[in-house]
Amino acid sequence: MSNAISLTGVTKQFNGTRAVDDLSLSVPTGSIYGFIGPNGSGKTTTLRMIMHILLPDRGEIEVLGSRDTAAARDKVGYLPEERGLYKKMTIRRLLRYYGRLKGAPISDLDASTEYWMRRMELPGLLDRQIETLSKGMSQKIQFVAAVVANPSLVILDEPFSGLDPVNAQVLKDAVLEIRQRGATVVFSTHDMATAERMCDRIFMIFRGRKVLDGTLESIQSEYGADTVRIRTSHGAAALAGMPDVESVNDFGQLQEVRLQGDPQAFLTRLVARATVYHFEVTRPSLQDIFVRIAKP
Amino acid sequence: MRKAFIVAQSEFLTLVRSKAFLIGLILMPVVMGTSIMLVRATKDATDMKDRTFAVVDYTGVVAEPLTAVANMYNAGTASPLDAVLPRKGPRFIPVEIKPTGANPDELRVELSNRVRKQEFFAFVEVPAEILDPASTVAIRYYSDHPSYNALPQWLRATVNAVVLNERFRRASVDRALVVRLTKQAPINELGLFERGTDGEIKAAEQVNIARAYGIPVAVLALMYITIMSSAPQLLNSVIEEKMSRISEVLIGSVTPFELMMGKLVGGAAASMVLSAIYIAGGLIVVQYWGGGYASAVTGAIVAWFLLFLTLALFIFGSLFIAIGAACNDLKDSQNMMTPVMLLVMVPMFTAGSVLRAPDGTMATILSLVPTAAPFLMLLRISLQPGPPMWQIALSLIIMTCTAVAVVWAAGKIFRTGLLMQGKSATLTEMVKWVTAK
Repeated sequence: MSNAISLTGVTKQFNGTRAVDDLSLSVPTGSIYGFIGPNGSGKTTTLRMIMHILLPDRGEIEVLGSRDTAAARDKVGYLPEERGLYKKMTIRRLLRYYGRLKGAPISDLDASTEYWMRRMELPGLLDRQIETLSKGMSQKIQFVAAVVANPSLVILDEPFSGLDPVNAQVLKDAVLEIRQRGATVVFSTHDMATAERMCDRIFMIFRGRKVLDGTLESIQSEYGADTVRIRTSHGAAALAGMPDVESVNDFGQLQEVRLQGDPQAFLTRLVARATVYHFEVTRPSLQDIFVRIAKP
Repeated sequence: MRKAFIVAQSEFLTLVRSKAFLIGLILMPVVMGTSIMLVRATKDATDMKDRTFAVVDYTGVVAEPLTAVANMYNAGTASPLDAVLPRKGPRFIPVEIKPTGANPDELRVELSNRVRKQEFFAFVEVPAEILDPASTVAIRYYSDHPSYNALPQWLRATVNAVVLNERFRRASVDRALVVRLTKQAPINELGLFERGTDGEIKAAEQVNIARAYGIPVAVLALMYITIMSSAPQLLNSVIEEKMSRISEVLIGSVTPFELMMGKLVGGAAASMVLSAIYIAGGLIVVQYWGGGYASAVTGAIVAWFLLFLTLALFIFGSLFIAIGAACNDLKDSQNMMTPVMLLVMVPMFTAGSVLRAPDGTMATILSLVPTAAPFLMLLRISLQPGPPMWQIALSLIIMTCTAVAVVWAAGKIFRTGLLMQGKSATLTEMVKWVTAK
């Protein structure tokens, strides 16, 4: 499978601080690729370098088979993390403007605009001024602006943040449709559940360096089957002072426990302390892996 | 540069559809037209309140004829004295106060108090020595309205005319004869003769001072108005895009330089439209109501105007764009704008000197300074016979080089500043961005 994006040894510094450090990664064509990482870890800087908004100090970036990322720009749709629109413009004029900047002819853009407006459940709003839209509507318009020129690669920086569950669902379906059409989707997110459910591959960056890269399965297997999910009559209190418990993620009704020893021996000791309603040996969740890596 | 053109198109449409553009387009001529009409309508009728003043005549021969001339002046009949002009303002009513012979300062204090009580507007002393042609004594005018100069001017002309009459009478000279013999010939200011292409001699035209200075001043004002209403708009546009994070989307599609060039070209096009409307409107007005002044606005002047305007917009527009990109909000940008605004204002302050001596050293030097040339070289071109061609060419070369350098430097500031959030750049930082490889 060819790669839509390849980074080799990419480094970017700001005022002597390495925001991205010797980063190499490959995004397979047609995949949904998730970028995760704590705030300030280098996600947005990496995405901006892919978009040619920032230039790397060192290393090579290849986008859609071209080392000149500027040349590939017309085939890349981009939704930045910090979002804004021209308040006084109508939606139609805005989408035409953004689409034309990507080299799409107006006739194609008008058809595409109509389609995506319906798809995002915003029909009949094309002649509305941006300033009259709600926050959720504006966010969906920005997504349409990123995909209206029918790009081969779509880069979405935190696309789901701030959306209510209904709008998040609409956006998720739209992202899957883009992939179905053959485009590659890269998105960054802080929502580990979304990344787990949607991404073919997940990449985690921490302090500018790559710490995870692969499918969810490969990442989970790398971190082993040392996690159990339990529900007991005593809740988290049942785990107090148990020697083989390395850490507990308490969800109230359910506890996710990382163990140092044998799960069967742990179960035996737990039964002696409380009534066990649920016991499941599982792989660590992405959330758990994230916390393990990023916890100070 | 196809994308720069798309940006320019959008920028142009945004600018010409903005309320600021439409208000500027309509409001400016309305305000100027109304002001001119108000000035014309009220120039002779601004203050018609009678001015009663006391006359202390130590000669004993001035007060009476002065009162007679004042009566004729107030009645609007022609005065026999050449020096007294027809009345335009209020009536001047003299009241003679006989000198008491006591301490004159006592009388001055008393009259000053009566002025304060508004019994008189002022009082004037005509000293006895004034009738002596060898004397250098002055007419003394006392008032608490130092800014009102119509009455002292009238008094200077009238009292002097009365005094001259008296001097001629004492010397047994016929004043009317003297006036006739010393009458000066007027000077008729004309242009130059020329021979037309058909060989016929074309007579010189009468010089019209209003026309000779009116067109250059109008061209200068139009340049100023167009730059001031266009260039700061570019700053607002950049600030809006930066504050609302639109710039990141845009430079994901176009290079920062294309984006900046698009803005400059769009801004320049909007300015051209604005100035074209003003020129066309102005020409229509002067054609119908300006006594044929429209013929003085030649195609060459319009072409020079548009050329200098384009270069000026690239220089000032780039500076404003760079400021917009370097600032974090509108408030910060206002502070940074001040030096650039001064660059626009300085030529306006010095325009008077250039008008008086368009070929002088100062005018020549200033009109070669790239930020002043759009105003002052254009002013010199509009004033007949205009500067030498080499000076115009040199100023255009200097302006073009400056425009290229400013656009290049602004491009570097724009690229870096656009993505910087949270704080405005310092001057040192901007210099660093420009000099960075």
